[in-house]
Amino acid sequence: MSETRRAWARFASLFRKSELDREFDEEALSHISLATDDYVRRGMPLAEAERLARLKFGSIGASKEMARDLRGLPWLESLLYDLRFALRGLRRDRAFTLAAIVMLALAIGLNVTVFTVMDAILFRGAPLVKESDRLLFVQERGPSGRCCVSYPDFEDWRSQAHAFQSMAFVADGGVVLRERLERPTDAFAFNVSTNLFGLLGVRPILGRDFVPADEAPGARPVAILNYRFWESRFGKRADIAGLAVQMNGAPATIIGVMPDGLDFPTQGDMWVPIAHTPVLLERGLTPGGFEVVGRLRDGAGLENARTELATINRRLEADYPVTNRNLLATLSTYSAAIAGENAPKIFGSLWAGACLVLLIACANLTNLTLARTIGRSREFATRIALGAGRGRMVRQILTESVLLAGAGGALGWWIAKWAVRTWAVATFSRYQIVDYSVTSGTLAYLAAASAAVAILVSIAPISRVVQMGVNGVLRGDARGVTEGPRGKRLAGVLVAVQMALAIVLLLGAGVLVRSFVAIVSANTGVRDPEHILVGSLTLPPDKYSSPDARRGYFDRLDAQLRTIPGMEQETVASALPVGFVNLRTFEIEGRPDEQDRGESAQFLSTGPDYFRLVGASPISGREFDDRDRAAALPVAVVNESFAATFWPGEQPLGKRIRVIEQKKPGEWRTVVGVVPNIMQGDPLRQRFKPVVYVPLRQESRGRRAWFLVRARVPPGQVARAVRAEAQKLDSDVLLSDVTTLKAHFAFNRDSMDAEHSELGKQAAVSPVFALIALLLAAVGLYAVSAHSVRQRTKEIGIRMALGAAAGDIRRMTLRNGILPVAIGMILGLVASLALNRILQSQLVGVPPYDPLTMASGPAILIFVALLACYIPARRATKIDPVVALRYE
Amino acid sequence: MSESKLDLLQGTLDLMVLRTLDVLGPLHGYGIARRIEQLSGNEVLLNQGTIYASLIRLQQRGWISAKWGVSDNNRKAKFYSLTKAGRRQMDEERVQWERLSAVMGRVLTASSEGGKL
Repeated sequence: MSETRRAWARFASLFRKSELDREFDEEALSHISLATDDYVRRGMPLAEAERLARLKFGSIGASKEMARDLRGLPWLESLLYDLRFALRGLRRDRAFTLAAIVMLALAIGLNVTVFTVMDAILFRGAPLVKESDRLLFVQERGPSGRCCVSYPDFEDWRSQAHAFQSMAFVADGGVVLRERLERPTDAFAFNVSTNLFGLLGVRPILGRDFVPADEAPGARPVAILNYRFWESRFGKRADIAGLAVQMNGAPATIIGVMPDGLDFPTQGDMWVPIAHTPVLLERGLTPGGFEVVGRLRDGAGLENARTELATINRRLEADYPVTNRNLLATLSTYSAAIAGENAPKIFGSLWAGACLVLLIACANLTNLTLARTIGRSREFATRIALGAGRGRMVRQILTESVLLAGAGGALGWWIAKWAVRTWAVATFSRYQIVDYSVTSGTLAYLAAASAAVAILVSIAPISRVVQMGVNGVLRGDARGVTEGPRGKRLAGVLVAVQMALAIVLLLGAGVLVRSFVAIVSANTGVRDPEHILVGSLTLPPDKYSSPDARRGYFDRLDAQLRTIPGMEQETVASALPVGFVNLRTFEIEGRPDEQDRGESAQFLSTGPDYFRLVGASPISGREFDDRDRAAALPVAVVNESFAATFWPGEQPLGKRIRVIEQKKPGEWRTVVGVVPNIMQGDPLRQRFKPVVYVPLRQESRGRRAWFLVRARVPPGQVARAVRAEAQKLDSDVLLSDVTTLKAHFAFNRDSMDAEHSELGKQAAVSPVFALIALLLAAVGLYAVSAHSVRQRTKEIGIRMALGAAAGDIRRMTLRNGILPVAIGMILGLVASLALNRILQSQLVGVPPYDPLTMASGPAILIFVALLACYIPARRATKIDPVVALRYE
Repeated sequence: MSESKLDLLQGTLDLMVLRTLDVLGPLHGYGIARRIEQLSGNEVLLNQGTIYASLIRLQQRGWISAKWGVSDNNRKAKFYSLTKAGRRQMDEERVQWERLSAVMGRVLTASSEGGKL
């Protein structure tokens, strides 16, 4: 107790040092005068008394020093001294300090950013959900990859699988919500089993959780709101629980609100209990977004769950041979479901890249610090000669490194925060709920990275000082010890290492970008998409609930749009090229469905002129026109891929197909045309899949559609005109995402699934790494060769005085600078050959040793390296021999 | 002078200071130094200035407190007095010291006799 108190007293006294010193002086003087008084009283002459008093007190200076040592913390004081000294030194070398801090900030910032993102996506799991690493998403797939799990199968899993503590069912659904007499609005709802929130371990902040009775047939429909929806739609009203509303036309009650930030499985507006309709209770695969989430029991792992579900599925297959043939339960962890199975590899390689960049920065800073230590060798030598311990010098270097790393880390932290925010905004997707917030783990990582940097960059300069020959330095040759072959070799090695790392990153990023370009620029079958303007139309639910009402609107819209000046073609379709379209099961006339598992293809509803507009006029037959209306003969157009898959070598025209939905066949449709392939539903855009087109006037299923317009006037101008016409026609129709089709191809996240949008992000981020690496390496090379020119000023002066031409000097300097670059590049190329193979699984349409990348990467590096060497080389030739010879 | 000797002396001096303040009440540095000199000759204090090291240590531990005041002959001086914790500490150390010196006395006597065997 008294020792802590003493330590605290010592620490506190640091802040009032001069005050305490003064007080001690005063006390000492008081002591002496008291003593003098005493002696005088005993009959001593004043002068004698005073002398004796001082003598008996001893040295005031010494006792003051002793008091100081007792009072304060000597080690802390000398640390503060080191700090002050280091700060002064860094302020003197402003260019060095600035370069070092900026370099470290960039590298640390990049590293922390990648770490934060990786941590959030791979390890942190769902926000607010308890132990989300114990959650598994379970799906059921047929042999051809078709999904999804049916409710009865889920019930069997739930009752029989012991690896799971509990299992819940989740399905996508739309709800038309109406409050009293207000206009109905669309809401995105998840239909869930009532145990979902119990399984997640999240309680509502208002109202109550679902109870099993809410799921019972005939129960009054209830809903729990997402916090954001409660905020935006209901203004956070406190009396929300118990509010009577209408959902899909039926009376319903809102029973609660979930905490802010809970989006499960993805972003939606509300959760409603699953309704036990007859369709839901059918066995076999059910297309649509049905999904099962399970929480593993303690001690059970992914593999236990997998084997157990496989056993249950074999039993189900025996019991229901027709519906449950060859169905496979597929399981994925939360992070795999959110970010894709390849996410660990993708983020792992990004993180490795960021660490390489950090290493480059360290190598660079080491070189700069070395150069600086060399420049200061006389100072160090003098201090050592005057009796300062080498330990003290080591501490000095460490202090400087810690200061630099600390400043770099702090700035890097700021960069990382900004970058993570930008990343979160740029990659936001309804389908990926990731918590990017900063945790103590992130901070610990930052601290560790900064500390590692401080230690790494101190090693070389410290070993230099420890081995320094004081005499040599002091004898007047400032370069004596340091300009030896070892020093140069180390600088060269560091440059080579940086170049090698930079080339590894350049080549890795190069193939990733090429792969992404291959995806984005793949042939989509659409002619000049930059001239096609598109936009999304969402029809309000009350006016347009019937297909007739929707058809009427599309007719009126067509007529209005045609009046726009400069209009070439316009049409409306249920989806755009490239985007996903629902797979539907169909049957071909004359080929009865075997084994009750029909073929499936993508079905898309389009208006007249669609194919002419996108530049894919029919190869044979015709495209839809105004005759293809509700009452007319049901028709269809298929693409080449469909014709080749299902009617190889036959004439498709006149053949008939029909859709089978929920086991019930629709009407027969006659094929009236075959069109060239248009990309649809392949996120990698490498394969044309079978597509069936039906007239929008004969089949319009949803209230969402897209308009497509090709005009002779610039798209911006058309966009304004289209908006005006749509507004005039019905201002309740929501018009959004108006852009050119080309822009839509490049940015549309819906057209890429989670896995491949991760690839896109990687392709976008990796060049940033490569650029930073290249920049750092160039700065490093520049610093080294500039330093070497400065060191050799005298030598160059002598050479020039002896008649060397400017060209000779330039060549010599360049040669010295370029040699480590060449060695580093060769090493880097060799490493790349090994490392790019790892990327192979993530590449589309590009080999890992893409010749273009392999040639251009080194070319860029050489160019930058030459530039970094050329500037100092040019400066070398400008040296005036007379000045140089006097140069110290 | 080795560390351990210094420590022993430090502890002894600290105890002396505590005891002086206990007997004489609040006192300035000079008064304490003089009193210790009077009682111990010049055995303990190297010089009077060294008393202040002890005073700082004791203050940091919270065993004595200090206050500026005026001496009998109207000199400004810093007066030290024993705190409650200081009194407790002094009692404890006194007991320990007495026990130790008794033991030391016995041991030293015994060894001089044993040496003759």
